[in-house]
Amino acid sequence: MFDRDIWQEIFNTLKKNKLRTFLTGFSVGWAIFILVMLLASVNGMQNGFVGQFNDDATNSIFVRPGTTAKAYAGFEAGRRIQFENDDLEYIAKSFPKDVEYISARYYANATARYKSETGSYPIQAVHPDHQIIEKTLVIDGRYFNEADMVNKAKVAVIGRKVAEDLFKEENPIGSFVEVNDLPFKVIGIFTDEGDDNAERRIYAPISTYQRIYGNTNNINIIALTYNPTYDLAKALAFSGRLEELMKRRHKIAPNDQSGLSVWNYAEAFDDISSFTAVLKAIGIGVGFLILIAGIVGIGNIMVFTIKERTKEIGVRKAMGARPRQIVNLVLLESIFITSLSGFIGLMFAWIVLSLVGPAIETPAFSNPSVSGGTVVTATIILIVAGVLAGLIPAIKAANVKPIVALSDK
Amino acid sequence: MIEIKDLHKSYKMGSNSLHVLKGINFTVKAGELVAIMGSSGSGKSTLLNIIGILDGADSGDYTLDGVPIEDLTETKAAQYRNKFLGFVFQSFNLINYKTALENVALPLYYQKVGRKERQKKALNYLEKVGLKEWATHLPSELSGGQKQRVAIARAMAAEPKVLLADEPTGALDSKTSYEVMALIQQINDEGNTILVVTHEEDIAHMCKRIVHLKDGVIVEDKKVEQVRAEQYV
Repeated sequence: MFDRDIWQEIFNTLKKNKLRTFLTGFSVGWAIFILVMLLASVNGMQNGFVGQFNDDATNSIFVRPGTTAKAYAGFEAGRRIQFENDDLEYIAKSFPKDVEYISARYYANATARYKSETGSYPIQAVHPDHQIIEKTLVIDGRYFNEADMVNKAKVAVIGRKVAEDLFKEENPIGSFVEVNDLPFKVIGIFTDEGDDNAERRIYAPISTYQRIYGNTNNINIIALTYNPTYDLAKALAFSGRLEELMKRRHKIAPNDQSGLSVWNYAEAFDDISSFTAVLKAIGIGVGFLILIAGIVGIGNIMVFTIKERTKEIGVRKAMGARPRQIVNLVLLESIFITSLSGFIGLMFAWIVLSLVGPAIETPAFSNPSVSGGTVVTATIILIVAGVLAGLIPAIKAANVKPIVALSDK
Repeated sequence: MIEIKDLHKSYKMGSNSLHVLKGINFTVKAGELVAIMGSSGSGKSTLLNIIGILDGADSGDYTLDGVPIEDLTETKAAQYRNKFLGFVFQSFNLINYKTALENVALPLYYQKVGRKERQKKALNYLEKVGLKEWATHLPSELSGGQKQRVAIARAMAAEPKVLLADEPTGALDSKTSYEVMALIQQINDEGNTILVVTHEEDIAHMCKRIVHLKDGVIVEDKKVEQVRAEQYV
């Protein structure tokens, strides 16, 4: 294989037919280029989707109330469902093994003011568990805790953008911000890897907020995370049981889709991964079909080369070349062309991706890239392709009769 | 060296078959220089192909240096060719992208001789045919006579038992033909067994024995007074 004699021959044939070699190699290089670009694009889509959901814990479930669409249990259709604090406790008590963290959300909009700066911000009044469910990263200070909840403390955790807007250069921690004219002590600043908008939010303990603004038990949404050891099937089973329980509690028909909704991230994730898996399969399929055209091209050119070299092969056989040696020569040549041109295609794709890839950053598509696995797969494909392309010509070459060389006519 | 008994060979041509060799009995002793003559279609090329293990016979026995040649696989045939036989062709059949030296070294490559050793031996044989200075030249840079001498050096490099030359002077003018024959005679003088297929009378008479083939049988087999080729050079 590392015989100088063999390589000399391979290079010579290639050199003698530069254009032919280039054109054939191009088809394989192009095929690999397309294959890699397709896979990278699918990768980019996957990155985009996953990035969108990065915002929250991947094992989270959201329960939202709605308006009933069906009459049930003596109630008419069109009834608005309202969750209250009791619902949260009820869920936590009913599923002690399934629920990991649980929090309510109460939405409000408020005008916040510090000194001369004011701004309107969405308020989310939540439980301490919400930090984990929403993956809120506190970069300064702390999140509120159970004690703040019990004391109904007027504390706030503000987003990074809020801090920038209101406090400018000052350190907000320990200062008081006026939320709808009531002073809240800033105890923490958070950032969110999901998006910028989330950083324009203010979190406050739900107990405080419910008392101060409206004296209510109402909540808007229940967010929870389930036991992280659950697989998809268990997670879906759990959200099914949860939905059933909540519908019974609020007297909603079991088949009423609009009464309340239980939204499970696992489901969405499952949809996305099967979606991208299908895309990937399509990418590989299309890439392969193009590659087959390349392989046929190389095989074709090899057959031609063998025909041209029939006499030489005959002479070699007369000199004592064994069929195996002839086959090896042809196969190696074929593998060499496919691998070389394939690698050029691969390198080209890689260069294009590293130049263009980082610039593409949209919600649905981000950082298209090739993994090491793809490169290894492509390499194996190329070698196999080379063998396939060279197989028929090699057998043809091995069957050349040395008599052909002897008969000079 | 070569023993052939009652050799038959026919080729299928569609529905009817062509009987080319019709019972050849033929013996060559070590050190002989034999010319095989005959018009085209006489079967001389077929006989040479069978002797060269490039083709098989239909029936009859063929023994080469005491080894019976029958039912060989391709690989085995290649091995025997490599070990026993050297070929010289009418159109030289040098590999055009290899230098003279590399061409001569080719049979040694198939004998699995190491690269260094191969080059040393090949250079030796090139020197013998008087082309040492041309070792690094490509065949396209050599004259016809020089090419044939390289081809002879290549055939001899593997140190074969028998040298088979198929019309070795067929593509050369008479002066170069005699040069090549002088070389062949010199190699024969050193004790090598050589078979030359030719249709030229003067070339045949530079051998020691002439075998005439006609319609697939040997019609004449005579020893001749060898004409030395040097005198014409």
